[in-house]
Amino acid sequence: MIRFTDASVTAPADDGGSRTILHPVTLELGEHRISVIGANGSGKSTLLKLINGLTLPTSGSVSVDGLDTARRGTEVRRKVGFVFTDPLSQLVMPTGREDVELSLRGRIRRADERRTAGMRVLESYGIGHLADRSIYDLSGGERQLLAIAVVAAVEPAVLIADEPTTLLDLRNEHTIRAVLRGLPQQVIFTTHNLSFAQDSDRTLVLDGGRVVFDGDPAEAVAFYQELCLR
Amino acid sequence: MRGHGQLLGLYVPGRSLLHRTPLALKALLCVGASTPVVLIRQPLTTAAGLVLFLLLMTVGARLPLRKVLGALVPALPVLALLALYSWFTRGPEAAFVVPGGIAVCILAARLLTVTTPGQELLDGLVRLVRPLRRLGADPERFALALSIMVRSIPYLVGSLSDLRDAAKARGLQRSPRAVVVPVVVNAVAYAQATGQALAARGLGEHSDADDEAGEGVDGEDSPDADGRGV
Amino acid sequence: MSQAHPSSSGAAVASRRRARKRWNSTDLSLIAVFAALIAALAIVPGIPVGALGVPITLQTLGVMLAGVVLGPGRGGAAVGLYVLAGLAGLPIFSGFRGGLAVLAGPSAGYLIAFPLAAMLAGFLAAALLRRTRRFRAGVLFIACFTASLLLIHPLGITGLVVNGGLSVGDAIAADAVYLPGDVIKNLLAAGIAAAVHRAFPRLLPRTGAAGPGHGGTEGAARTA
Repeated sequence: MIRFTDASVTAPADDGGSRTILHPVTLELGEHRISVIGANGSGKSTLLKLINGLTLPTSGSVSVDGLDTARRGTEVRRKVGFVFTDPLSQLVMPTGREDVELSLRGRIRRADERRTAGMRVLESYGIGHLADRSIYDLSGGERQLLAIAVVAAVEPAVLIADEPTTLLDLRNEHTIRAVLRGLPQQVIFTTHNLSFAQDSDRTLVLDGGRVVFDGDPAEAVAFYQELCLR
Repeated sequence: MRGHGQLLGLYVPGRSLLHRTPLALKALLCVGASTPVVLIRQPLTTAAGLVLFLLLMTVGARLPLRKVLGALVPALPVLALLALYSWFTRGPEAAFVVPGGIAVCILAARLLTVTTPGQELLDGLVRLVRPLRRLGADPERFALALSIMVRSIPYLVGSLSDLRDAAKARGLQRSPRAVVVPVVVNAVAYAQATGQALAARGLGEHSDADDEAGEGVDGEDSPDADGRGV
Repeated sequence: MSQAHPSSSGAAVASRRRARKRWNSTDLSLIAVFAALIAALAIVPGIPVGALGVPITLQTLGVMLAGVVLGPGRGGAAVGLYVLAGLAGLPIFSGFRGGLAVLAGPSAGYLIAFPLAAMLAGFLAAALLRRTRRFRAGVLFIACFTASLLLIHPLGITGLVVNGGLSVGDAIAADAVYLPGDVIKNLLAAGIAAAVHRAFPRLLPRTGAAGPGHGGTEGAARTA
């Protein structure tokens, strides 16, 4: 269970004052699949980063299964994996095999076991044959699959994905959506794709740093379309 | 990122006796046999050391003699100068013993790197650190730092030569500052992005649960922000 | 070894209660990337000079940069990581050398001095910049040059005597050849570090090794 308690984020502004990025919000997120929509700069990414402590609230608090992100950040990040929009900023090693083995390092001591397990992970995502290819020689879709695979390999309880399909073509977008749908974990994602957003159990709509709608995905999308036309 | 293999590439694949000997045993042999040569500095021990390692490399590791002696070529100028200096100050015996001892160590070290894949050498280094855990060392994070370092070298070498070309194009080739400043600034930005990518997977943070962590991952310096003068 | 040096890092913005902060994943990757930076600077072609042909490379530039850019804790760790990886056999010392053999060679003293020098330079830089914000590059030069005079040259000379069998006088003479190059490299390091601090004003730990409580001029150390 993810809990926001009056959590807000402000950043120092150029004029010496401060700028509110996210107004105080109180939320409980327990559904299996939650989508977040809103215009660029509406605070979507900040909301996601608050969940695993990549950003800390300026006031209020955020907790995951009772662990406060400000004080127990390390444990929170072991529970909450984060998939970036751009897989290249996610992948740390030159090849998929090395990258997934890096994820498994904490759980599997022996190098040979890690190798087998790493290969199994890659195969389960259908990218086993790309294990030794340089990450720069992969297509955008393959890269995003790999990024999800290496994050999920840590076996987090929650997986956060920040616009995971924005950089992809239609075919790859469907692959990534299918993969995310198949994950047993709680998945929270942002997207600009309204059909992808409806492919969830609950949708939050953000506007100007506030949660302006929270509920049924179909109604949320209708509300958001209305909002954009206003 | 390519050329990564090249960096770890003194290794010559093979199935010789020494290739199959466990790393710990080989390391013990090399350090154990070369240390007395350096400490005793008698013509007999130096000669014995040279013969021993030449035999180990040609017979034990089945390397061609030319390749074995090739290991000494880069060091030849220094060895020759040392020989000359020692001859004039302390006579012919020193002229053999001083550079000879160094040559033994070069051969011993080369024996390890030629018969052991680079990654295995680094894993061995991590194993050496493991007993230091009680003193507060963290072998897992050390291993992670090592692999990030190895992966970053080709990237930085590439960025150095790219920027050298860029500086040349602007007629700045004689200003090392114009080349190195952007390399270091890029390196810091790249390190911070990598840090974020690790944090997004819960990797690279210490494992003490009671410690407060987190902050600082976000709100890192950005190149635009100028410090507030006090 | 990554936690061998306690670091009261200033990587976090407005520092909150914590007295002693452990390195987070960004600190860890800064350490690793600076170790790689030293390696990259060491293996681009250098100029061999001096009696023993120890090549002048940008290796020492990288060592000093790690100290004054990252501060004593992370800077020392970065240089330590570089030296350890080289000793383990990675060909990342100047002239593509690597392996334990370097410890038996005449330049061993310089290598051992590197991590210590980075720590001292970083400590001095943080301590001096806490007191003054003017002549930033000059202050950084003083930090680098002091560390190089107090650690790199004496230990380097010791290495020449012990491993190279030189007499003390000859070793000092052999070492002195590197002094002019060293001054140039320290000037470079200071100029580069000052520019990097302008780009990343909060990178250098606010309070070097002194710990909290010295915060009279809070923030001074990290302003550009």
